[in-house]
Amino acid sequence: MASVALSEAEKVYIVHGVQEDLRVDGRGCEDYRCVEVETDVVSNTSGSARVKLGHTDILVGVKAEMGTPKLEKPNEGYLEFFVDCSANATPEFEGRGGDDLGTEIANTLYRIFNNKSSVDLKSLCISPREHCWILYVDVLLLECGGNLFDTICIAVKAALFNTRIPRVRVLEDEEGSKDIELSDDPYDCIRLSVENVPCIVTLCKIGYRHVVDATLQEEACSLASLLVSVTSTGVVTCMRKVGKGSLDPESIFEMMETGKRVGKVLHASLQSVLHKEESLGPKRPKVGFLG
Amino acid sequence: MPGDHRRIRGPEESQPPQLYAADEDEAPAARDPTRLRPVYARAGLLSQAKGSAYLEAGGTKVLCAVSGPRQAEGSERGSGPAGAGGEAPAALRGRLLCDFRRAPFAGRRRRAPPGGGEERELALALQEALEPAVRLGRYPRAQLEVSALLLEDGGSALAAALTAAALALADAGVEMYDLVVGCGLSRTPEPAPTWLLDPTRLEEEHAAAGLTVALMPVLNQVAGLLGSGEGGPTESWAEAVRLGLEGCQRLYPVLQQCLVRAARRRGAAAPS
Repeated sequence: MASVALSEAEKVYIVHGVQEDLRVDGRGCEDYRCVEVETDVVSNTSGSARVKLGHTDILVGVKAEMGTPKLEKPNEGYLEFFVDCSANATPEFEGRGGDDLGTEIANTLYRIFNNKSSVDLKSLCISPREHCWILYVDVLLLECGGNLFDTICIAVKAALFNTRIPRVRVLEDEEGSKDIELSDDPYDCIRLSVENVPCIVTLCKIGYRHVVDATLQEEACSLASLLVSVTSTGVVTCMRKVGKGSLDPESIFEMMETGKRVGKVLHASLQSVLHKEESLGPKRPKVGFLG
Repeated sequence: MPGDHRRIRGPEESQPPQLYAADEDEAPAARDPTRLRPVYARAGLLSQAKGSAYLEAGGTKVLCAVSGPRQAEGSERGSGPAGAGGEAPAALRGRLLCDFRRAPFAGRRRRAPPGGGEERELALALQEALEPAVRLGRYPRAQLEVSALLLEDGGSALAAALTAAALALADAGVEMYDLVVGCGLSRTPEPAPTWLLDPTRLEEEHAAAGLTVALMPVLNQVAGLLGSGEGGPTESWAEAVRLGLEGCQRLYPVLQQCLVRAARRRGAAAPS
């Protein structure tokens, strides 16, 4: 990730502050920074979302295309993730520099969506063994300000909520040849249910306590973090230790509990924001990249 | 599967016949959830590598080799605040490069060598689990290369690779704080979900969730953790982590004996 040079004194200041539950910008250990979510920012996609969390800026576009289902799962469609760390985010990502981080994030996303309950893949099937919808989820890192995984997962959830897949019918001729018919009405589409899509909560261990939503400076002070992916009901779908250091088993249990608590609150607020945005309808003021 | 058409003249797409076989509902047999399969470990078997280890647990066979320390490519010249214990400053710390490879015949289906995303993910997991244990500060501007080769996947492959890699590093004489022991777990699907320690491949395929933990036994610190699936509430995952850590502690004496035997073998061979 983007690295920032910190002096020893600054590190000590951050660590001592966290011990007292007081971070540099005045937040508590379990508080998120202000999140701005906006959906439907890119018109050529089936669904898109832009999320800004402090200085971290993520743009996600979802494109739905028709293809053949995988051999092992002939009745389901699937999702393909691609993460691009653009050079705008930090100079380190120039050229192929951002590829490693991009693959790591994409693999984590695959892992999170790898279970049956996250997204209803059966609704993406058009005709078993022959046609299905493949959702290409493309994540673009515009600016890196710490806490990438959380922001990306929020953006993916918002983009999937916004995705509108056109309704398609397979017609069979007398000779048996199949023809695909697209519905004439552009507003006739299927929506995905994102109730069970999980959100990632990254807990960074700083000193003896852990913090949620670390900035770049706080990430530089922490040796190890735990990444927990929680659904809105508190079910954990993925757990991963990130970083060069090791974690105490007791602190892992504490971090999981904190992750679950924070995750539930995050889900509730994200759902309410998405529903409110949708209820404003086509007349809502679009901020886009100018705000 | 897309093959090498210049060397192998065959059809474009080929599948194993098992895919078209009738559904074999082979449910895994019930067993004691805390049983560990007997482990065979041997260190110091490759002549060309600085350190090497072979680990076999049930049907899982992993071979790991360590080479280095070698000069790191693109090592920047920098100076920063020195770490504790006279170690090199952060910019000059050594690097650990891990590579995880699956043999094409390791699983049920043939997988061509550039395995793509999964191998990179497991290699990253290996690196994140081994870094806390290795004293990289004592190898400034150098890199250590660890490559794990999975010969046969019989369940808990990542855990076996972690253990083999730690043994290989110890065999190479790399300075470490502690050994890293890995243990795999899997959760049986509903109804009655239970966490099973050290699952076989059949249990992993039928599992609803899987978890791999890596522990440094003497320091009692968790070096690595990777899990996903429908694991249920946090209490269930906490119970799984505890079970895994206990399994790692039980495995530790076997690895100690293996290293002692390897050192004796090297000592007996040297004077001649």
